[in-house]
Amino acid sequence: MSIFLGYAATILVFFFTYNIFTLGLNIQFGYAGILNFTVITFMAMGAYFYAVFVMPRADTANQVYYILGLHWPWPLAMIAGVVASGAVGYLIGLIALKRLRSDYLAIVTLATGTLIYGLAGNQQHLFDGWAGLFNVNQPFQSVATNSPNEYSWILVLISGLLMLGVWWFANRLYSSPLGRSMRAIREDQEVVDAFGKNTFKIRMLAMVIGCVIVGLGGILTIQYIGALSPAGWTTGETFVVWAALLVGGRGNNLGSIVGSLLVAVVFNEATRYLPQVSSNPNLIPDLRNIIIGALVIGVLWFRPQGVLPERKPKFFEVPLTNTIATEDSDSRSIATGAGA
Amino acid sequence: MTLFLLTVGFGIVTASVLSLLSVGLSLQFGVTNYVNFAYGSYLGVGMMVAYTLSGTFHLPFVLSVVLATLITGLVAVLISEFILDPFARRRKSLFYMLIVTFGLSLVLDNILQIIYGVGFVEFPIAQSSPVQIGPFSFTKVQLIIVAVAIVAMVGIHLLLSKTRLGKAMRAMSDNADLARASGIDTRSVTRWTWFISGCLAGLGGIVLALNIVSFQTASGDAMLFVIFAAVILGGIGQTYGAMLGALVIGLVTETSVVYISSAYKQDVAFVVLILMLLVRPQGILAARGKA
Repeated sequence: MSIFLGYAATILVFFFTYNIFTLGLNIQFGYAGILNFTVITFMAMGAYFYAVFVMPRADTANQVYYILGLHWPWPLAMIAGVVASGAVGYLIGLIALKRLRSDYLAIVTLATGTLIYGLAGNQQHLFDGWAGLFNVNQPFQSVATNSPNEYSWILVLISGLLMLGVWWFANRLYSSPLGRSMRAIREDQEVVDAFGKNTFKIRMLAMVIGCVIVGLGGILTIQYIGALSPAGWTTGETFVVWAALLVGGRGNNLGSIVGSLLVAVVFNEATRYLPQVSSNPNLIPDLRNIIIGALVIGVLWFRPQGVLPERKPKFFEVPLTNTIATEDSDSRSIATGAGA
Repeated sequence: MTLFLLTVGFGIVTASVLSLLSVGLSLQFGVTNYVNFAYGSYLGVGMMVAYTLSGTFHLPFVLSVVLATLITGLVAVLISEFILDPFARRRKSLFYMLIVTFGLSLVLDNILQIIYGVGFVEFPIAQSSPVQIGPFSFTKVQLIIVAVAIVAMVGIHLLLSKTRLGKAMRAMSDNADLARASGIDTRSVTRWTWFISGCLAGLGGIVLALNIVSFQTASGDAMLFVIFAAVILGGIGQTYGAMLGALVIGLVTETSVVYISSAYKQDVAFVVLILMLLVRPQGILAARGKA
């Protein structure tokens, strides 16, 4: 029974953290149309900075190196972690959110992700290189050592509460004036510019808020696992979050939750128990990546709005509106999409 | 000074490799108007097919290179015919194409990884000793790489300036709708463009593998943002700009080794990319409407 309970706790934490990642990406891409191709880098930044703030000084005698090592209490370290991932997002936004085609934004995020990945791996003194950080302090650690079975449920509670908070915030943001501006920029940035809005600032806000939320998910991940190395945040992981968002329905927070349930939990858990092929141990993870990539391409072909499409707001119809004209403007808004 | 000149020599070799790769990417961008994030995987296809043909099937190395180059071109055409081109015509928005090519890179990389694993391999050719040419020092292989790149660049120049296909490609790059209205068969031009882009990616991947000697399936992807840096530096979609960008990035990354650790070679390319995006995002040779 306790094995089953432990498994259930793992699944729940996993589900909640993936919800947080997907909600964060939804604010960036679903709301504001920002193509962030390195979501997982912000997860890693949140996790790493949480770790170096919460852990004691590095044990250099045992060849373990990392920066800081301030041994702060975990709630303070969590704040430091989200601030750090937000700051990295801000720096990338400074370069990428200028008035450029969305290709450039995608290239800059991808390039920065590759760069940070290389730095984190090759620079042993930053976050212990390829070995990664381990033995990261967890919240309520005394419980963890005394009764590890009950302990999982504390983390279920923490991640569940944080997920609810993010969910509440994302929904508030969606219908707020700021959220409406973000969605207007997604549809047509030039129109929003013409209305006198500072579109750079609004897109930057979406970028930073999204990165902070993804960083929060990263902190929960490292709190649960207690370790993170560069092998845990490759491009494939970024794509899992993208797949969850696109399958669920971009622009729709409920869709993000359905998507992370389907992709991150059901699909990943279902493939976890496939038998390992001894001659090719990477076969199953590789196949999983292929299927995730193909799934996204398939969804964009057959149902680009996702399982739960974003609900278009209904306004009072002006009686004299020409129906042909409305159809026209509808199809144009789809055609421009987020590609401005 | 000797060391500096020596690295200039390496810079010329890297620039040669990069010129093939960035011209291939830029040519395709100009015609289809979207970035191909799976380009790094095409490099992997080229080097791995050449490895299979020469290593497993024991074909002569030059023949393997030619075949692998053509096969990569063919793969690029097939992917465009069955996935990318239908998407581009069905969904007009740019972000679909970016996500689709990003997803495609994941699929291709992992297919290669299933077939070849993650280990490093080498081509079955003898390593030649360096020869001294003035202040520079090249291996025979590196000299061949430079020669191949020069021949390819002259070929691309002749293609673009002298042939009907090249003129049609430039017309599509300027304005695809106008080109279609003028009676250019844009689908056929797109197909040929993907073939040339794929061939350049395959050949570029192989010479990249020759230059770094031991390589794995992901070696192409590791190069992707250096290629982007070269392409953006020259002005995205600008073929001659891509050649110029490749030369600059190649020289800058290699000569930087004199001043900082060679581990940061790629980061130098990144810094150049960022500076360029901040100062002149349209590139040295700007194309209107493409930034």
